[in-house]
Amino acid sequence: MSTNCRRRLIRDFKRLSTDPPGGISGSPCPDNIMLWNAVIFGPADTPFEDGTFKLLLTFDESYPNKPPTVKFLSRMFHPNVYANGELCLDILQNRWSPTYDVAAILTSIQSLLHDPNPNSPANAEAAQLYRENMKEYVRRVRATVEESWLDPDEHEAMRQEDEAAAASSSDPSSS
Amino acid sequence: MKVHIKHWHAIAQWRWDIGKNDDDDDGEGDVCGICRVPFEGCCPSCKMPGDDCPLIWGECTHVFHMHCLLQWIGTAASKQQCPMDRRPWVTAERKVDAGNPR
Repeated sequence: MSTNCRRRLIRDFKRLSTDPPGGISGSPCPDNIMLWNAVIFGPADTPFEDGTFKLLLTFDESYPNKPPTVKFLSRMFHPNVYANGELCLDILQNRWSPTYDVAAILTSIQSLLHDPNPNSPANAEAAQLYRENMKEYVRRVRATVEESWLDPDEHEAMRQEDEAAAASSSDPSSS
Repeated sequence: MKVHIKHWHAIAQWRWDIGKNDDDDDGEGDVCGICRVPFEGCCPSCKMPGDDCPLIWGECTHVFHMHCLLQWIGTAASKQQCPMDRRPWVTAERKVDAGNPR
């Protein structure tokens, strides 16, 4: 069945494959056009350089009148990315416009890597280091860059180890 | 030599007068910014282009398929703003003259 949303997503995919903006790629899952996998390559001259950060975009039937849900699958260390991979980006929330497409969304996220907004932190530690200790911020980001090269299974194992370590060293608090 | 015309076929083309030159700057033609379908096509909810799926102009000069724009304006998230420039949407007093296509 073809719906408005699906037709628009097909157009988005066409545009992304014929005229791809630099440093991003994305495509729908073969069996579900409402689910897209994307990769953002860390922009040059930023601590994220050379990273291959994977994302998952989930659309519902109200797209493009509503934004998709966007989540990093790769572990990120960035002031505006939550621990669960969700991100805090105005155009995906209250400044969404139906004129945005997948290419525009991915390009905006790419420039967010470049230009974090420490005033609306989703990761307080990353925001603090970004403001006060650039050297340590860069070191932590570089660690995620290296992790981003691992395949998903290795990555998941690493994440579980991290979570186990975090759980044993501090009280989990909801935020 | 005498030529006798036995049959002839008229071919006509129409397009909305959106007040722009034919040569579009990006070469991809004019598409509705919301559904990305050419203005001369119809919005994804319609089957036939033409008067049943007209365009709508804002006072900000932005143009969309009427159905696409109204669907967006109908959402709370739109805050009744133009999707292009976020100014309050005011429909311009401009009617497409269907009898006078370019």
